[in-house]
Amino acid sequence: MADLQDDIPRTTEVGEDDGLPDDPFHLPPDVPAGDVPAGDLPSGDVPAGDPLERARALLAGHPVADGYSGLPWALRHLPGHDLQLGEAAVDTDLPRMRAGHVGALFWSLHLPEGPAGERPVAATLEQLDLARSVVEAHPEGLRLVRTAGQVIDARNRGRVAVLLGPAHGAALDGSLAVLRVLHALGVRVLTLAGTTWAGDSGLSRFGEEVVREMNRLGVLADVTGAGPATVRRTLALSKTPVLCTRSAARALRPHPANLSDDLLAALGGAKGLCMVPLTAEQTGPAVPDVADHLDHIRDVAGPECVGLSGTYDSGVVHPRELADASRYPHLIAELLRRGWSETELSLLTWGNVQRVLRGADFASRAAQHRREAPTPRITDLDAL
Amino acid sequence: MGALEEARELLREFPVVDGHNDLPWALREQVRYDLDALDIAGDRSDRLHTDLPRLRAGGVGAQYWSVYVPAEQPDPVAATLEQIDCVRRMLERYPADLAPARSAADLETARAEGRIASLMGAEGGHSIANSMGTLRALYALGVRYMTLTHNSNVDWADSATDEPRAGGLTAFGREVVREMNRLGMLVDLSHVAATTMRDALDASTAPVIFSHSSARAVCDHPRNIPDDVLERLPANGGMAMVTFVPKFVLQAAVDWTAAADENLRAHGLHHLDTSPEAMRLHRAFEERHPRPVATVSVVADHLDHMREVAGIDHLGIGGDYDGTAFTPDGLDDVSGYPNLLAELLDRGWSRTDLAKLTWRNAVRVLGAAEDVARGLQAGRGPSLATIEELDGTPGGS
Repeated sequence: MADLQDDIPRTTEVGEDDGLPDDPFHLPPDVPAGDVPAGDLPSGDVPAGDPLERARALLAGHPVADGYSGLPWALRHLPGHDLQLGEAAVDTDLPRMRAGHVGALFWSLHLPEGPAGERPVAATLEQLDLARSVVEAHPEGLRLVRTAGQVIDARNRGRVAVLLGPAHGAALDGSLAVLRVLHALGVRVLTLAGTTWAGDSGLSRFGEEVVREMNRLGVLADVTGAGPATVRRTLALSKTPVLCTRSAARALRPHPANLSDDLLAALGGAKGLCMVPLTAEQTGPAVPDVADHLDHIRDVAGPECVGLSGTYDSGVVHPRELADASRYPHLIAELLRRGWSETELSLLTWGNVQRVLRGADFASRAAQHRREAPTPRITDLDAL
Repeated sequence: MGALEEARELLREFPVVDGHNDLPWALREQVRYDLDALDIAGDRSDRLHTDLPRLRAGGVGAQYWSVYVPAEQPDPVAATLEQIDCVRRMLERYPADLAPARSAADLETARAEGRIASLMGAEGGHSIANSMGTLRALYALGVRYMTLTHNSNVDWADSATDEPRAGGLTAFGREVVREMNRLGMLVDLSHVAATTMRDALDASTAPVIFSHSSARAVCDHPRNIPDDVLERLPANGGMAMVTFVPKFVLQAAVDWTAAADENLRAHGLHHLDTSPEAMRLHRAFEERHPRPVATVSVVADHLDHMREVAGIDHLGIGGDYDGTAFTPDGLDDVSGYPNLLAELLDRGWSRTDLAKLTWRNAVRVLGAAEDVARGLQAGRGPSLATIEELDGTPGGS
């Protein structure tokens, strides 16, 4: 589906979605309204010279779709926050997202106590409720979206698209019905690791049924942190591209959530997406370290299979110069210096996530003709 | 024209909005939600009170499907979501008969289309696990009323059938009511203690409902509504939806049930036990002591009284089908509503009165809750209160 990755429609092609007026003031200042570049930029559009300037120009056309943000949890105990005008207590607010050219964000519904916490269902619903109310409180800046098309629509309206997820697999409480309800509430990514049905020995029968039902609904599987057997089985089973929302290269840094080269190659073969976290622990303490991981994953998995995860506001230490959501141009400038082509960069920041979201939408529509909603609970399929 | 014929004709114009039906729980218990295994498109009178042909025959135009789960579930929130999923799958499966509905306007649209508007009601505050976020998630999923308790107390409200603990609503309980008002979710006072009913009427700025309760003055059972509470409905704007459950509406059935329960307890079993042993004891008791049978006329007596105390604008119907083992003669299943209307016509109720009872009051009450919600949302945001903040540690003292 690589041919679909970059078909950003122009503003004029996009219909009304909910009657909110277009607000040109909230487009990045260096992009005039109605002049959002479509497709690959001709090289002439990006000024030669200063890599940072070139990075900004490139990001204006192909903003960052960030695979993991902990913002909802960070805002939980921050009454009176205002993301629109700026909020120093967090790493992510609208002025800094504008400066960093963030066009879309996955908002994590993970629970700080991890998947094993008590009452994971209610706690996940609370996270979801909080995320929805934060988006509702910032209608000029944020837009809750559910599909690839809505991401584009939000972008053409100058809003940052917010996708809900990943949520912990434990939030299902062993029930496919709960998965369907979470999908109805907008959840689009589910992390498999940390559940009894996606353990070291791979997916159980119930785990396989979860993945098939995720495909039918259009919920992306996140295999970050899962064992190699689960990663391989999910790649083989899933009709939808598989995500790693927070994985870097194990060959460069031995972190348990990082992927070995053979898994990266398998992910690339299945046209999944490895989203590299900007964390000192997983990628290293400086921009060149992050760039090394991106280079490596591009080379092993392929340029269509690498993306970015800011991991801001999730309680981790970030590499120097990448302290908040405004810093993406510095990373892109480094990649330009290393000879990344504009096509590769546009895939890295935006195009690959679009491809994966479209893949989920297509697979879902196809599967709904073939499969009905299954009802078993974990106790029906897995011996406990 | 005979009364029954007139009742049917009336129902074609103003069908029944029924406040409580436990079909989702019956589907869970009988076939684990396998809708193929118990297809309600056909006659299921052997296993259920409810199926589509009988809903049509009964003149039902809107149904609050209960997404009840027992408070004793290991995770009542997850189980409630499974119940909601069941209703959503029913709606997908029977689109010609069931119409998803979330508002008063949706009710009128469904009536115009000749489909049965399908709403959801959660039965018991345990379904939100002391979490405002979960309450809002249920609203977002289409739940339009929540009964504050089921048969046992919750941390923040007393049930009619449990030992008094909070003495009505706690501070967090009042905050739940306020948040339900802000959302436009109806506060349902069936099952709650009279103290909770009064506290909720004090706290609520929107009309409240009783989704399935009758009159305590006619039959003295804690599940029914005392007169002083019925008297407050005109000022509040809400409604009491009369229920048919024999052991709540007929004094002889109340007494018989108490004796049957005592019989189980005398054999060392819990009175709600449904094990084979308990059922055998129960059948033996029933052979010695024939079970009193309620009739349409008994239910009409309740409605006559409730009308006298609360007024015609504050009445409705909540059959509790598939949520009760026994039903009155003539109201055996969801096809029976015309018999109740015929009885009321014979008692001199006008066509206008009956249209209010079946349809108009319920639509008005849901619409009024929506109006209140719009007003409140302009003034305040989602409640961030926790039970620990307002009540201290739940379950303590």
